[in-house]
Amino acid sequence: MDFKDLASRLGFDEDDFKELVELFITTTLSDIDKIKNSVQQGNSQDAAAASHSIKGASGNLGFDDIFILARDMEMQAKQGNIDNFGAYIIDLENRVNALNNI
Amino acid sequence: MGNKPSYTVLAVDDNLLNLKLIEKSLSKEGYKIFSADNGPDARAIALKENPDLILLDIEMPGENGFDVIKKLKDSPKTNAIPVIFLTGVSEVDSKLKGFDLGAVDYITKPFHPLEVLARVRIHLKLSIATNSLIADQASKLRQVTEAQVSMLPTPEDNPDALFGVYYKALEEAGGDFYDILSISDKITGYFVADFSGHDIKTSYGTASVKALLAQNCTPVYSPAESMKMINDVLVEILSDGKYLTACYMHLNRTTKKATIINAGHPPVVCLPVDGEPYLIKMTGDVLGMFKDAQFGTQNIDVSEGDRFFIYSDGLVESAKDKITWASGAESLLPVYKQIAQVPYDKAPAELVNNLFGHNALPEDDIVVLCVKV
Repeated sequence: MDFKDLASRLGFDEDDFKELVELFITTTLSDIDKIKNSVQQGNSQDAAAASHSIKGASGNLGFDDIFILARDMEMQAKQGNIDNFGAYIIDLENRVNALNNI
Repeated sequence: MGNKPSYTVLAVDDNLLNLKLIEKSLSKEGYKIFSADNGPDARAIALKENPDLILLDIEMPGENGFDVIKKLKDSPKTNAIPVIFLTGVSEVDSKLKGFDLGAVDYITKPFHPLEVLARVRIHLKLSIATNSLIADQASKLRQVTEAQVSMLPTPEDNPDALFGVYYKALEEAGGDFYDILSISDKITGYFVADFSGHDIKTSYGTASVKALLAQNCTPVYSPAESMKMINDVLVEILSDGKYLTACYMHLNRTTKKATIINAGHPPVVCLPVDGEPYLIKMTGDVLGMFKDAQFGTQNIDVSEGDRFFIYSDGLVESAKDKITWASGAESLLPVYKQIAQVPYDKAPAELVNNLFGHNALPEDDIVVLCVKV
């Protein structure tokens, strides 16, 4: 993933973009916690809302893989299907944490 | 260097990353950004800071974007602020609902910061243009008011006419007007009229009537002939449905004779120098409606010191209290007696104060002339 290219596409310099990525990681990990709690409580509506939030933020920064994952999670949650969210959550966490290493 | 105007944008989104993204992209272009991550905070900031534009997320926990815009539009302090919704690409119903609730546009999420910037610029330009148009129209209406008022003769400029006046137009383009015509040294004409409607066309109508009065109220014509000629021209030039009620008093201070012509107007009140006030009742057609209109005419012998009150229906009529001028005029006769000792030039204002109080706003335009023989 090329931060410089992503930053340029959005009209930012690299430092500004890195600041946004840090905020994205913080807010998204917080949203992932919300999803975990929602799954434990069987609350698909809250899981959909948190997935929706991740979808919007990742799409805005151009993180397409995270956007697609969050979009699928939101669609599943809206249909009440959150039983298989364990795999989704691990995948999501890995992708978000990987941003720290770029 | 003076301060350049800084445009302010309120961004509302429960996702902090989205807020930061908007803040970064707009602030580096010179906009001042306020942020809120929930509806109640957003409304409080909108009230306090009066931003030039609001970017509002729809899907928020608690008070969502629709709830927020409804409340913003219900408040007179925030209802003119343009709102752009931030909405997901598949949410067509949400977009339509947003427009219904008063949003000016929407930005689809995920959004590109440069698109946000472009849309903010477009809507600020539209807002500036609209505000400028409103200010321009208000300024033009004020000019109409000033032009109307400048057409009204003052007692100071016409000391020989021995009259006092109270004039109040409720709207910028008032429907009432009056004129004083110096026909000869000792003959003066007093004209009070009430146009149907209070629009810009009305103000042009008053200019036409003023010109017609100047042309036709001369020693050559009798008062009845003057009014007939004015009526015939007005029938030609007034648009459909437009007319005016009017009263014309022709006063000859040498012969001590007054002629009053009434065109569907409230009755003149005569306050004799040593007698009780009474109404000079007549029936007559309105002015400017029919070619062969018949006006009420009455000739009266007058004495020095007698006073005549010529006024529009706003003085004696109340739609709120269901009082027509026919009954209202009669019931006010004792008030004229009460102000008999007030100097004639102060009498109209005193009369209005007696009826409405010093600060009360009448329901309609009002003109009152007090003429002293």
